[in-house]
Amino acid sequence: MKKLLILLATLLLATSLVACKAEEPVAEVKDVTLKVWGSQDDQAMLGEMVEAFKAANTGVNWTIELGVVGEPDARTKYLEDPEAAADVFAYPNDQVMDLVNAGALYEVTINKDAIVAANIQSAVDAATVDGKLYGYPMTADNGYFMYYDKSVYSEEDVKSLDKMLEVAQAAGKKVFFDVSNGWYIASFFIGAGNTFSMVDGKQVLDFNNETGVKVGEAIKAFTAHPAFLTGDDNIFKAGMGTTIAAGVSGTWNAGDISTILGANYAATKLPEYTLGGVATQLGSFAGFKLMGVNSLTAFPEEAMALAEFLTNEANQIKRFETRKLGPSNKNAAQNEAVLADVALSALAQQAPFAISQNSVAGTYWGPAEAFGLALENKDYTMSIQAMLDALVSQAAGE
Amino acid sequence: MKGGTQMTNGLKAFGKRIGLFFTHFSQGDIITKASYFVMGLGQFLRGQWVKGAAYLGVQLIFIYYMLVSGISSILGLRTLGTKLQERVWSEERGIFVVQAGDNSMLMLLFGVAAIFVVLAFVMVYWMSVSGSYQNQMTLEAGKKPLNFRQEIDVYLNEKYHITVLTLPVFLTFLFTIVPLVFMILLAFTNFDRFHQPPGNLFTWVGFENFTAALWKDPLKSKTFIDLLIWTLIWAVFATVLNYIFGMVLAIMINKKGIKLKKFWRTIFVITIAVPQFVSLMLMSQLLADQGTLNVILQEMNLIDKFLPFLSDPTMAKITVIVVNLWVGVPYSMLITSGILMNIPTDLYESAKIDGANAWVQFWKITLPYMLFVTGPYLITQFIGNINNFNVIYLLTRGGPLSLEYFQAGKTDLLVTWLYKLTVNEQNYSLASTIGIFIFMLSAFFSLIVFNKTASTQKEDDFQ
Amino acid sequence: MMKSMKARAKAGNALIYAILSGLSFIWLLPIVWLIMSSFRKEPGAYTAYIIPKEFTLDNYTRLFTETTLFNYPRWFMNTLIVAIFSCIISTVIVLLTSYALSRLRFKMRKPMMNIALVLGMFPGFMSMIAIYHILKAFGLTQSLFALVLVYSGGAALGYYISKGFFDTIPKAIDESAMLDGASKNTIFWKITLPLSKPIVVYTILMAFIGPWVDFIFVSVIMKDNYQNYTVALGLFQMLSRENIYQYFTRFAAGAVLIAIPITILFIYMQKYYVSGITGGSVKG
Repeated sequence: MKKLLILLATLLLATSLVACKAEEPVAEVKDVTLKVWGSQDDQAMLGEMVEAFKAANTGVNWTIELGVVGEPDARTKYLEDPEAAADVFAYPNDQVMDLVNAGALYEVTINKDAIVAANIQSAVDAATVDGKLYGYPMTADNGYFMYYDKSVYSEEDVKSLDKMLEVAQAAGKKVFFDVSNGWYIASFFIGAGNTFSMVDGKQVLDFNNETGVKVGEAIKAFTAHPAFLTGDDNIFKAGMGTTIAAGVSGTWNAGDISTILGANYAATKLPEYTLGGVATQLGSFAGFKLMGVNSLTAFPEEAMALAEFLTNEANQIKRFETRKLGPSNKNAAQNEAVLADVALSALAQQAPFAISQNSVAGTYWGPAEAFGLALENKDYTMSIQAMLDALVSQAAGE
Repeated sequence: MKGGTQMTNGLKAFGKRIGLFFTHFSQGDIITKASYFVMGLGQFLRGQWVKGAAYLGVQLIFIYYMLVSGISSILGLRTLGTKLQERVWSEERGIFVVQAGDNSMLMLLFGVAAIFVVLAFVMVYWMSVSGSYQNQMTLEAGKKPLNFRQEIDVYLNEKYHITVLTLPVFLTFLFTIVPLVFMILLAFTNFDRFHQPPGNLFTWVGFENFTAALWKDPLKSKTFIDLLIWTLIWAVFATVLNYIFGMVLAIMINKKGIKLKKFWRTIFVITIAVPQFVSLMLMSQLLADQGTLNVILQEMNLIDKFLPFLSDPTMAKITVIVVNLWVGVPYSMLITSGILMNIPTDLYESAKIDGANAWVQFWKITLPYMLFVTGPYLITQFIGNINNFNVIYLLTRGGPLSLEYFQAGKTDLLVTWLYKLTVNEQNYSLASTIGIFIFMLSAFFSLIVFNKTASTQKEDDFQ
Repeated sequence: MMKSMKARAKAGNALIYAILSGLSFIWLLPIVWLIMSSFRKEPGAYTAYIIPKEFTLDNYTRLFTETTLFNYPRWFMNTLIVAIFSCIISTVIVLLTSYALSRLRFKMRKPMMNIALVLGMFPGFMSMIAIYHILKAFGLTQSLFALVLVYSGGAALGYYISKGFFDTIPKAIDESAMLDGASKNTIFWKITLPLSKPIVVYTILMAFIGPWVDFIFVSVIMKDNYQNYTVALGLFQMLSRENIYQYFTRFAAGAVLIAIPITILFIYMQKYYVSGITGGSVKG
């Protein structure tokens, strides 16, 4: 017994001595440890950017780690464990509401005016909630437009959806449009002037008004056309150039489509469709990717400096050069190579008709898909009005 | 009834323990009394060195844990956090400095965990105290308490079940029971997207979710009931058909005279070896409206319009059941062939002498025997199918979606619907509430069947 | 008489061969498609045909040579390590639990069986986050060890199948061993286990497969630690909308390679599927 006690006492003494000795000397250089999240495709590029950042900001002992979490997963991964999340992470603007609600983001205050001035207005708006800026705009290319086969269509043909269908049918081909998808089907409603808004966190839509019903009839006519084809990206890319003459999709497919079509590769803004006898331009969603600073970071100023650096003009051009990502920075967007990019200029043509996704709630997608699917399947058991009423009330979560 | 008697028996045993706790103390000698305060004394001072030291160690660790975090964790359960994340403008730094608040989710989880730690400690404490008293009795009777070696022998024989089950029970508590209690308690909170940590707190709301969830809203309750019916239909078909086809397949392969048994079995096992998310993704591409199967059938001029395998509600329901056969039959083939080989051959021999043909043999011998052995397996398969997230989600995502349902599609099971609710609305408390309904339903059903099946009633018969 | 019976048996067997071949065709069709895709030269996730226009081995070789974006070899080794350890641990846990619940008699047996049955019924996607935070409290996240714990931690709840099997082994065997002075421990390892090979094979196989096919738990546990991903989660990364067209054929090759260790393990263990173990050798 006694022996054991002595042993315990010595052990305690020893540990306390060690603890005393471990007192640290006053640090001369500040140690800053940060983590950045980006998609796996971005890792090499981010690594280079981080090195450039370190070189440009000497006098601090930087430890900057990279972690693989792509933008679509940012919200989920963040909320699973905010403490383990990166200090600086990339996210798409449709997550900004949820992240701000969860208190996940630092408000951007340092150099705010310069950041606002440097980026296009729609990108800044997409990063803004209640007048406060919560992200550093990084890309402005998450939208959709029309890809087409030049051997089938002239530039004049692709201005009207009706004409496109007609030409495609004559050529024995199809026009691809994923109508059973809330993201794409919205373009008919947006074009007609229907609106999305959020009231107390609830989705408020006016799709079931008179205009909305006309839009519904127009979609019904479109999906009933023999040259109409729906499906996912895989179907689109498998058929483009052979059975498909044109299709609505986004920049992420630009590389593949241009390889498939070769010299016949072309893209432009979405066409006009016939709404109650009047030609109406199709609208769309404009999506942006933003850099955010984790509200739990230990080094907010340094994290902000890094986020700002990673999204500055030079790095946005670098993003375009390495990964063909379209810039949100005004100067970068005027870069000659960017202007010459077929997909990005099609997106730019569509931009005036696009709205931000910030006021779209998670509850919208399911009912919107159900509505599109019913029309695709030519299931007309419910009237358009009844279907839209159901869509509106379900999107509100009721 | 049965559960009731089990419960009263449990309570009685518990009451008896409490009584013993005090009688042992009053009848104990000084060492026994002292071991009520310093655990392990009654073992250590009576020659059981290892055991005594272990008890003491447990006590020290427990006290340390309670002081460092246990007590505050348990107290935190009352409010689930009071300190809200704050943002304070700092002129000097030019930023709104964020001051972290409490995280309600972690407080709930660690509160639950702390309670389980206390319960486990009480159990160990009881073991040490009663063991100490028993040692005293043994010594008074003129014998020696068991030494370490002898004790090990006891744990390898008479008390073998304790040796064997301690680790599984511990792991089950850690990875199943604590998370489960946590999830059940979520249903009594307002954890949704407006109360999302770390920026917000959530707190107890009592039974509000249970009333608000389904009863007040006709569309939600219609969705719930329709999906419940489909879930049950799906579970019955998926379970029964998989089982029967798997068994028939196993019987065919095992039949005397069939050659290349190993070859046939391997073919079906390969489909298990390819991960489900891959094979189901392929299946959904194969069966899509513009999918490969439709294209090939059209090219062969067998059909002129695509078959809506996954987009027509009724077809989709049939398709998921059939595809699930593809997924599940190899598993049941494996299990049943293992057991089929174990059927005593003399049963068949005597049946043959009586002139029974293969069909009669199947009904009179094979099936009853298989049901006896695999009864509980069937129940768990049934429950597993009620919660079969993978097959439905990877194949159809619940689609075709329908406006007749609230945020759900025609092949959605309750569990995939719950998942969508959490993803689209981050409404965790509602999801937990509906989860509890499913849980109670399946627990009630399966406990009845489980305790009525032949395999638990007469488990000693075949032994 | 004998002749006609033989002829009937022959006809019966021929029918069975026909059915088995038909079923094999259906069962293998998607697998064949997968294998074909893994040798396909044309990119793309979807084709309207099954047999590739051009064949190539590139998809396999590039899985192992181009590792900067998708480190397949590393993920494969991770998975192999996790699968082996969690397979050993969970097999031992399952078999011991079922043995205790089948052959030993103790007070808590029935309640334990009921509780274990009920525990598996709660739809558990929220539990993953709870498990993650429990592991984090032990300082174990983002490691392969944590994954092993997760995959084997709940193993005991799957005791039913082997318990049912143990129930069929005649008690007389145990009793005679006990008369010879064997302890319960000895009986389990020396007598029960050798008599239960088919169910041991099944248990090992199921436990081994788990880590190869799960992509949900591993994503919660590993988070941003890309190097410690398992193959299933890693392969999933190839399916992002930017990558799927270029990487689908490689994805197929990766999936085919996953199937190989599992199939080999099964082929190797099949020899324990010997007919009539208890029925033949020891008549109950």
